[in-house]
Amino acid sequence: MTSSAPKPPRGHFSILYFASAGSFTGRDSESLPAPLPLSKLFSELETRHPGFKAKILDSSLVTVNLDYVDVPGEGEEGPVIQEGDEVAIIPPVSSG
Amino acid sequence: MTDTKHDDTNTIWHLSEQGCYVALTHDHLDLQQAIDRVRSPAAGAIVLFAGTTRDNFAGKPVKELQYTAYNKLALRTMLSICKDVQAKHGLKGISMIHRLGTVPIGEESILIAVSSPHRQAAWRAGEEALEACKERVEVWKREEFEGEEGVWRANRDGAVGQKVES
Repeated sequence: MTSSAPKPPRGHFSILYFASAGSFTGRDSESLPAPLPLSKLFSELETRHPGFKAKILDSSLVTVNLDYVDVPGEGEEGPVIQEGDEVAIIPPVSSG
Repeated sequence: MTDTKHDDTNTIWHLSEQGCYVALTHDHLDLQQAIDRVRSPAAGAIVLFAGTTRDNFAGKPVKELQYTAYNKLALRTMLSICKDVQAKHGLKGISMIHRLGTVPIGEESILIAVSSPHRQAAWRAGEEALEACKERVEVWKREEFEGEEGVWRANRDGAVGQKVES
């Protein structure tokens, strides 16, 4: 797994899948269309990778440009993921 | 240290700041180097912790471990932990180095070295730095077993990880 995503194409953001998130999706990263409200991120990912939410996302944290964010519920107000942003799915860590 | 051999050239491998040194590497870990990074004439003690890869999980034989990281974020978190622990315990130096990629059984996967004027602070600081690292640093361990699929481990609960179909 690489630890830096390739730069996303115009009008996209990149999303990185670490550990179990990478195993589930079968890839380290992908590019998704931007802008995207953060509140719609999980439903967008679930559409692309059925089962992803219950199996991985519900027990993972999310970063946008290296900062942890709270993912708002569907329909709630919240930040918007912008073109060129780097989003990451962070499953429970296990260093040491 | 050969720093840019696996991933693309944008990947970062180490950070340092005022007595704190943190690194990720695919190479074997160098115990002497970890100690020398914190050596100080003002220190009366250096404590080194070396975490090594165990050959079983709850009695089940493990073949080897695979570590992966979100380098940029992991190094940032490691540096933040080191600065906190350094300030709290008045350390002269602290180094934290984690190995990535395949780590065969019995080899070091993490080193933490701390130096301080007196031994008590060094012992305590070393333990605190390790516990914070295991709780927060964005590094993941996959245990590979003989004849079956590997498992991503989670430090959070010490439970058996879930197998994930790709």
